[in-house]
Amino acid sequence: MDFSWSEEQAAFRKEVIRFAKQELNDDLTRRDEEEEFPREFWNKCAQFGIQGLPVPQEYGGGGADTLTTACALEALGYGCKDNGFLFSLNAHMWTSELPLMAFGTEEQKRRYLPKLASGEWIGLHCMTEPMSGSDAYSLKARAERKGNCYVINGSKTFITNTTHGDLFIVFANVDPSKGANGVTGFLVEKGAPGLVLGKKLHKMGLRTSPMSEVALVDCEVPAENVLGKEGSGQAIFTHSMEWERTCILASHLGMMQRLIETCVKYARERQQFGQPIGKYSAIANMVADMEVRLETGRLLLYKAAWLKSQGRHALKEAAMAKLFISEATVQTCLDAIQIHGGYGYMREYEMERDLRDSVSGKIYSGTSEIQRVIIAGFQGL
Amino acid sequence: MSVTNQTPATQSTLKEQIREFIQVQLAEPKGIASFTDDESLMETGVIDSLGIFRLVSFLEEDLKVRVSDEEINAETLKSVNAIEELVIRKKK
Ligand SMILES: Cc1cc2nc3c(=O)[nH]c(=O)nc-3n(C[C@H](O)[C@H](O)[C@H](O)COP(=O)(O)OP(=O)(O)OC[C@H]3O[C@@H](n4cnc5c(N)ncnc54)[C@H](O)[C@@H]3O)c2cc1C
Repeated sequence: MDFSWSEEQAAFRKEVIRFAKQELNDDLTRRDEEEEFPREFWNKCAQFGIQGLPVPQEYGGGGADTLTTACALEALGYGCKDNGFLFSLNAHMWTSELPLMAFGTEEQKRRYLPKLASGEWIGLHCMTEPMSGSDAYSLKARAERKGNCYVINGSKTFITNTTHGDLFIVFANVDPSKGANGVTGFLVEKGAPGLVLGKKLHKMGLRTSPMSEVALVDCEVPAENVLGKEGSGQAIFTHSMEWERTCILASHLGMMQRLIETCVKYARERQQFGQPIGKYSAIANMVADMEVRLETGRLLLYKAAWLKSQGRHALKEAAMAKLFISEATVQTCLDAIQIHGGYGYMREYEMERDLRDSVSGKIYSGTSEIQRVIIAGFQGL
Repeated sequence: MSVTNQTPATQSTLKEQIREFIQVQLAEPKGIASFTDDESLMETGVIDSLGIFRLVSFLEEDLKVRVSDEEINAETLKSVNAIEELVIRKKK
């Protein structure tokens, strides 16, 4: 067991932090207010090699191992305050690149992975529907085979990256009599006939990450664009969720570290009743608890990432990492605001945005309640 | 090679382990008292979306076989017999 980053990983981490601090924070307050996705940051990250990290070199990626990728995302969360942008990056990597890598045919991988790895294309996945969220496999979208095509009809909601998206992984049922075993994944390109972007959705946080509804109206998809086999949607979606739950909150770890450092600095400087507020155990204890949460979150996430890097399944471990880190981050944001008193509540101090951004961590990629259901399920409950 | 051609000792031990896991961990909590070795466990609701992963964890941790992502499907993990076949194939 080795709990340290290698020299290479540590150097890479430093380089990512430098890059993120320098290149990925401009004009955030305005962009958050106006819900503007920073495409130029996307391109800069692509040049740096972020989007390509998990993709094998033969498909134009960096071929980094899971822990190195998680290390980079944690560093991004520390250096870049635009959590919405980082969320979009994560959605692209874990729910688009990864399923293609695992289930795509050689032809599909050659066609799409280089574009996704280079950041030229943005990927996304469409599972959630107005009537099916946690109970994802009860989806109503239907796909019917007609000659060399499938015709998809249905509506999706809460879909990330849509307005800038190029490759949509759409889940629909080809045979409802088979229940979840009829759910199938389809690769649908932007501009496909019948793929219609619906209402733009306005979020409490992560406002720089685009989101909208998606309608599929007699959407024709060539049969060769089935991802995996007919009926393997369940395996694909679970695979995506396992990866996403393992890695998506790595950037929250970085965010928590940034908040702790900000709080420590403030607690040392801010004087009340003739001494720094950090001298009061009520404040020091909050910082101590923040630090414990950060380290616990790291252990859970690194363990899940390590299991994945060994080619093993980590559904329970990923659920524990996702559950713990999402809830820890919300609490850390609340504590950071509390430590800063009235200043913390002011938008200028930027902590309210972190709080707004963090709340959704308890909802996307399976709610906290669903993570608990999974963890308890592994105990036979 | 068909499963029935395995040596009886290996066959019964492995099949029993698989059966017991499914019976105790997946079927009983759902109130399903019995199932046959050929029955489609997904169709009868013994194995649901979470159950598949509990089963995979069991195969990986207890029976020491690696199950690839593509193998996690309704066909490969269909029944006790199919699961046993997979394990035997992997252990070869
Ligand atoms: C920021 C953000 C980005 C998203 N991006 C995407 C995307 O790109 N693609 C996509 O397909 N989806 C996306 N989603 C949708 C997300 O996956 C769903 O919102 C989530 O799965 C919950 O579904 P729901 O909103 O329908 O809530 P519901 O499932 O209706 O849940 C409502 C409440 O009931 C609880 N509940 C439900 N079932 C149970 C149960 N069995 N036991 C205990 N409690 C239960 C839930 O935990 C929750 O508290 C995104 C959501 C958000 C917030």
